[in-house]
Amino acid sequence: MREHHESLRASVRRGLEKLALEQDLSDSTPIPPERELMERFDVSRGTLRSAIGDLVSAGLLRTEQGRGTYVNKEAQARLLVWDRLADVARPDSRFHDDYRQFVPDFVGRDACDEAVQNLAAWKNAATVFIAPDNSLGGLRLLALEQGKRVLVPTYGLRRGFVLLEADLIPPEQRPLAATLDGMESLGTCVGVAAVPEFIDGVDLMVSGAVAVTTQGIHIGSESRYLAVELAVLTQLELVSHRTPLIVTAHDCQVLEVDMELSTVSCVASTVVTPTRVLHCGAHTGRARTVSRTDERRVLRLVNAAIDEEVS
Amino acid sequence: MTVESEQSIQQYREQVWGELIKIARPDSRFHWDFSRFIPDFPGSDRCSDFVMGLDAYAQLGDRQIFVTPDNSTEDLRRRLILDDRPFLMTTYGLRRGFVLVDPADVPPGEARYAATLDGADHYGRALSLSELAAGRPVGMLVTGGSAVSRNGIRFGKGHGYFDFEWALFSELGLVDGGETVIAVMDDCQIIDTDLPGEPHDVVVDWIVTPSRCAGTGRGPRGPGAIRWDLIPGSEFEELDLLDELKEVLDMGQE
Repeated sequence: MREHHESLRASVRRGLEKLALEQDLSDSTPIPPERELMERFDVSRGTLRSAIGDLVSAGLLRTEQGRGTYVNKEAQARLLVWDRLADVARPDSRFHDDYRQFVPDFVGRDACDEAVQNLAAWKNAATVFIAPDNSLGGLRLLALEQGKRVLVPTYGLRRGFVLLEADLIPPEQRPLAATLDGMESLGTCVGVAAVPEFIDGVDLMVSGAVAVTTQGIHIGSESRYLAVELAVLTQLELVSHRTPLIVTAHDCQVLEVDMELSTVSCVASTVVTPTRVLHCGAHTGRARTVSRTDERRVLRLVNAAIDEEVS
Repeated sequence: MTVESEQSIQQYREQVWGELIKIARPDSRFHWDFSRFIPDFPGSDRCSDFVMGLDAYAQLGDRQIFVTPDNSTEDLRRRLILDDRPFLMTTYGLRRGFVLVDPADVPPGEARYAATLDGADHYGRALSLSELAAGRPVGMLVTGGSAVSRNGIRFGKGHGYFDFEWALFSELGLVDGGETVIAVMDDCQIIDTDLPGEPHDVVVDWIVTPSRCAGTGRGPRGPGAIRWDLIPGSEFEELDLLDELKEVLDMGQE
């Protein structure tokens, strides 16, 4: 009996997942009501609710009391794009093809780097924040070759930032400095709170993405590192709402959809793919909202870092 | 392995990790989580000097050298590239099989890059198991680890990759018991006692630390065999390499 319930629950879960993934990305209406789903899957309310509960914990669905069950659009976008990445993504040295853990490098990325180089925001920047995404190794190297200072967070900001300075890294070591494995030994490790002692400000932010919309809405990993990093740098007064954010991605990661901004944290000023450059100026005014949860994480991070440095 | 010895090994491991965290270098992805990687430590360059100073290294001839993808063996990989000596390694957790890093593929000045795991992905060549099996025998295996006893019983992160890799080499006929197995460790990773070990443990011949190079005087080794009975339910079950291994071994029997 119990086993039967478990397999039924799993099959309803798969059915719901399919239903969620097939909903239009710009459609923010709830999924059909319980009664209708119970009929469709021919199951009891209890089984349906446990299956919904599974997908709520997995982050794909969210239930709003008295209103219904909704698809989390960011989670849906991630699942859609992860499915497409296998053909174009390059594996990570630790995480292989587990795209939940990292933003992969991709086929055609050289063309992206070329296009970024030609943007005024890049040309004018002396200090660049570049996310620790595998797709940005080329730009980290390029920035060093062009004499820029590069600020890279360690994974998840767990050990603060690394500051790479072209002057301090011999030319033949720059390809290594541009990798995650090399940057810490060739750059300066800087605690979160100490960053303002090293730089006056960040002129440009560059990030990869799991997915990005044509309006520039950035969808990162579930942990939303970019939002946290952005909030930390804002808190430290190193970036402002005018600091440009360039997001690079493979064309298959770009979603042609007008998604709602409410649950999203960062908006790009420019999106660059191997074939396109999209200027997303329209959104900069209401860009970079930081959710309450992210805000709390930021405060915790900054405070922990300050405590550590004081003690 | 008995539950009791499993417990005491985990105790040793955690005891060593408590010391290791004081000196270890964090990993770019896993930070300080020693259950997921073997860290590098200050003085690992002196370990490379010891390894490359061994008679066994000088006498390798055309036999190959295998180095695990641990951070503590990164400096040795750099030195091997500079010494113009190709080496075999695995991808992390064996998930994408074996890799050959050939110094001929590494541009001048980039040995240090090629020695990292990110660099091995860039400059290494993926080797299928049939290519590996058709290659020259392996005369030396160098591994990091969490801890090693005085008599050469070594523990890794707790997954058993190195024991599996050696057994695989044995099944493919690449090692014959005459190979030299070396553990590269910090001094704080040595457990100052003799441990009984288990039949499938690969007892190391040399324990190399920044301060010394000690032989363990182990007895005869092998032949090794893949413990197929231990694979169901383990993380090895998911490896693409297993299907390839079954094919290669079947071919060998015909």
